[in-house]
Amino acid sequence: MTEEELRIGVFICHCGINIGGVVRVPEVVEYAKTLPGVVYAADNLYTCSAAGLDAIKKAIKEHRLNRVVVASCTPRTHEPLFRKTCEEAGLNKYLFEMANIREHCSWVHMDDPDRATEKAKDIVRMAVAKARLLEPLDDIEIEVRPEALVIGAGPAGMTAALSLANQGFHVYLVEKEPEVGGMLRKLNRLYPTDRKADELLQQLSNAVYQNSNIEVFTSTKIVDVSGFIGNFEVLVRKDGEERKLEVGTIIVATGAEPLKPTGLYGYGELEGVITQIELEERLKEGRLGTPKAVVMIQCVGSRIPERPYCSRICCATAIKNAILIKQASPQTQVYILYRDLQAYGKEYEEYYRRAQELGVRFISYTLEKPPEVSRGDGGLKVKVYHAVLGRELTLPADLVVLSTPLIPPETNEELSKLLKVPLDRNGFFLEAHVKLRPVDFATDGIYVCGTAHSPKDVPDSIAQAYAAASRASIPMANRRVVAEGIVAEVNKDRCIGCALCVDLCPFKASRIGEDGKAEVIKVLCKGCGVCAASCPQRAITMKNFTDSQILAQVEAAFKG
Amino acid sequence: MSVGSALVIGGGIAGIQAALDLADRGIKVYLVEKSPSIGGRMAQLDKTFPTMDCSICILAPKMNECARHPNIELLTWSEVLSVEGEAGNFTVRILKKPRYVREDLCTGCGICTEKCPKKVPSEFEMGLGMRKAIYMPFPQAVPRVSVIDEENCLYFQKGVCRVCEKFCPAGAIDFEQKPQEIELKVGAIIVATGLVQADPSIESEYGYGRYKNVIASLELERLLSASGPTGGELKRPSDGKHPKRIGFIQCVASRSLKENGYPYCSSVCCMYATKEAMIIMEHDPEAEIYIFYIDLRAFGKGFQEFVNRAKERGVHYIRAKPSKVIEDPETKDLIIRYEDINDKKVKEVRLDLVVLCAALVPTPENKKLAEILGIEVDEYGFFKPLHPLYAPVDSTRPGIFICGYCQGPKDIPESVAQASGAAARAAEIIAKKVVAG
Amino acid sequence: MGEEFEPKILVFACNWCSYAGADLAGVSRIQYPPNIRIIRVMCSGRVDPLYVLKAFEYGADGVLVTGCHPGDCHYIDGNLKAEDRIRFLKESLKHIGIEPERLRLEWISASEGDKFARVVREMVETVKKLGPNPLKKEG
Repeated sequence: MTEEELRIGVFICHCGINIGGVVRVPEVVEYAKTLPGVVYAADNLYTCSAAGLDAIKKAIKEHRLNRVVVASCTPRTHEPLFRKTCEEAGLNKYLFEMANIREHCSWVHMDDPDRATEKAKDIVRMAVAKARLLEPLDDIEIEVRPEALVIGAGPAGMTAALSLANQGFHVYLVEKEPEVGGMLRKLNRLYPTDRKADELLQQLSNAVYQNSNIEVFTSTKIVDVSGFIGNFEVLVRKDGEERKLEVGTIIVATGAEPLKPTGLYGYGELEGVITQIELEERLKEGRLGTPKAVVMIQCVGSRIPERPYCSRICCATAIKNAILIKQASPQTQVYILYRDLQAYGKEYEEYYRRAQELGVRFISYTLEKPPEVSRGDGGLKVKVYHAVLGRELTLPADLVVLSTPLIPPETNEELSKLLKVPLDRNGFFLEAHVKLRPVDFATDGIYVCGTAHSPKDVPDSIAQAYAAASRASIPMANRRVVAEGIVAEVNKDRCIGCALCVDLCPFKASRIGEDGKAEVIKVLCKGCGVCAASCPQRAITMKNFTDSQILAQVEAAFKG
Repeated sequence: MSVGSALVIGGGIAGIQAALDLADRGIKVYLVEKSPSIGGRMAQLDKTFPTMDCSICILAPKMNECARHPNIELLTWSEVLSVEGEAGNFTVRILKKPRYVREDLCTGCGICTEKCPKKVPSEFEMGLGMRKAIYMPFPQAVPRVSVIDEENCLYFQKGVCRVCEKFCPAGAIDFEQKPQEIELKVGAIIVATGLVQADPSIESEYGYGRYKNVIASLELERLLSASGPTGGELKRPSDGKHPKRIGFIQCVASRSLKENGYPYCSSVCCMYATKEAMIIMEHDPEAEIYIFYIDLRAFGKGFQEFVNRAKERGVHYIRAKPSKVIEDPETKDLIIRYEDINDKKVKEVRLDLVVLCAALVPTPENKKLAEILGIEVDEYGFFKPLHPLYAPVDSTRPGIFICGYCQGPKDIPESVAQASGAAARAAEIIAKKVVAG
Repeated sequence: MGEEFEPKILVFACNWCSYAGADLAGVSRIQYPPNIRIIRVMCSGRVDPLYVLKAFEYGADGVLVTGCHPGDCHYIDGNLKAEDRIRFLKESLKHIGIEPERLRLEWISASEGDKFARVVREMVETVKKLGPNPLKKEG
């Protein structure tokens, strides 16, 4: 192969005044022109605008550029766009490098234009140094099976399965319990319409069982997951028998469960202290009777330092049950002791007002002065500091209902390891991007919906389930997906087959081949480079982040 | 049997996500947006809670993706005139308003804007900055094509000028452009028309419109944005000084049973006020911030943790619905009078700037659009879901789906999720396709 | 010669957490001294000890390696591998006459823009006190 002449183009962005207001962009352009290999340098007002992108494409053609460096903002948001632009101009997209002179320079050194300009030059020099050594890479195309696995058959899982099935995909719906339904089986009525949970359960499960594209597996456990988007192999076990499912995508809809508040407010010690979910059961079975007074306490075990999150559904649930009690037995006194009433959205304020009209009394308390529950005359009593009245009240009660948060099931940990997807600090599944990728995992081909993601009510779970179905349908409808070419590669001449990389690889992408040497399964490799940094023989090249590329950046940082 | 294409109405984050999901799975999408650029409200925001991502920075790549997607046809500056037919086979007529700038020729160089002599308040900057009569709504606008605002253009109003035409290097100005009607065949329709902020002067006791230093929260977003009218420097309107003491009043005209008020909770104000407070404190760690709230609603993933961080940073949360804002006529400072719910005492605090977190409401055009589409709206103008419990993204007419704020109050990730959800529902119909669109 | 010593510090930042944290510092306009140069790697576990040694050889006055908090690693536990290596490296630095304080490892998440800026400020202060990299040739 002949040594190709380096023709690097550098595009430096003003980003309006975001960069140009601090860094002297024309000076950086002139500097870039002096760097070895650079044949073209220019500035743009907004490189990411259509005009800026066209300018890059034009320059690639006119100046026969074979490497492109854009000095602008962070590659975390804009690298895909610029890579695509290079590709559109016929340049391999991996021959592109970004220099972050906004987030890492102009925005953090706003009062020092001189040193910011010098730093911007260094950053550009480092990027050009890497660009010189960039190599074209090929993306990896993977075929995708048009079959999906949905884990969990609650309202979210059933809805996701139905939507995929209605789009023509085959779905395996796996439930660990003997029957489908999840949380719906435990609930009495659902807000905001007070429709019976059983009716919705019936409606969904009928649809699921009648759909010829859906195969339901109850009492079934996920034992092992291997493979990757397009071709996952999932081992499931039912009644001691194992079966292998081959699917293109996986949706996690494993739900959440209410916290058992052992030790809080006398739960487990005082008779008559129950949880909201236990109240649901009593209401469902019609065995509540006509209590004289019911006191509900909100935020039991949530919005506290150990469990900081708000469980979102408890206020509306309490209001719903308070209304149901009042409707059945108007003379029953119902109190809701709350911290901040989460009656958000379109319907719940209205719901809250309806409860007030029915005589439900709302008393706010603070975290610093929580209510106290103790035995009273023939029942229970609840002491609460009434902030508005400025004094302590004692409420007699024959039933104290604790609103506890939804918490992640313990099994999340195991499943997260099997699927190699992360959990957040509270133990719920963690999506790829909190704002813009709410149901995707960072791992391709796996999606999340419902309360597995975070506490939410039935309508929100259903909306998310449709979302997961949409995201999963994309690779399956296309029957193929393209994965990045940034993967590790083994130099077989150097490899001694020590298998250190095999032990270290978190994705099981490295294995020892028949020749006794390591090899990388490209589609499994996520490009972290841990193997390359650990190989005692330096036999592994991490593409796009090679030793020579990184060392060139290191050197360029100090040698101007 | 369905036509293999879809119509998405509204080019905010929800419409963008719905269009991308459908287009990525191979369905042809027409994305109709009434304003000159897609982007919607999210484009106006400085940052997003609770991750503090720069809003336009994470949105712009998606906007560009829409523009470049081979399966998406952007119809900006356009409106839906009529819809006929049924699920799987709708006939839609679209009105494409004249830009007076040819989309095929304009390069977005901005020379026309530079030369245009007529300045008017910018809608994108909430009236806090100016734009020209020929303009691009914001720097990252998609498509990057100028538009002439007829009502303010000197040529259209007085018959003289045409300076833009003279200077346009691409010869893209075309004063003869006429409104154009387009007919489309689609299998499904997704509606994502978003929100507007209610006029904060509905609660007149807070002095919005009378006191210069009382502003709306969406105006504050622009004042905080690096690309906004002040370059991201927070300056108060009366004298351009950096405000040191800032108050936020929550639930302005929302959770309100008063006349002209909105009874529902807008769902995002507690969080964006907290976010704006954090941004202000990042600009100026000495700033003192007071958030007056009734109930602190931090119910989403990571929200309570975010509020806890704000509290640690020193943001003061005061449980009160202030009764009045009074302006000091000399300094233009503001005095908020309130009864602290937690101790029943009437107190006053003197502030440099007051921000009103006014109700977020569906766009007023929804009622007319609902008639055109043959779907139902509720009394506030939100599109009604077929069933609030189990069919949240289906409208009351088969084949038409709803998502984002126009369906009910919600934040960005919920809008994105619903948008993908609406896309799945639309795909269910289009999957039955036999005729090509 | 009266000018104050301005050290140059090399930062390795993992793409998912720390690089994003540095981005957030920028988005939030948190100001910090312009003494650092950042190299993006996908995972802190990619940081080969050789890179750190070469950085000192080329004249770095300090090296900061940053990664996700334990448990948050995008690649499950690459950051823990980085931790092992840095501990080992700090020991070896002593033998070649470099103060171990010139090398620092920090966990910085995508939401910790303020922490990124703080760590940079601290690191610049520390290295200023230590003075220039002793390997740099005199004169």
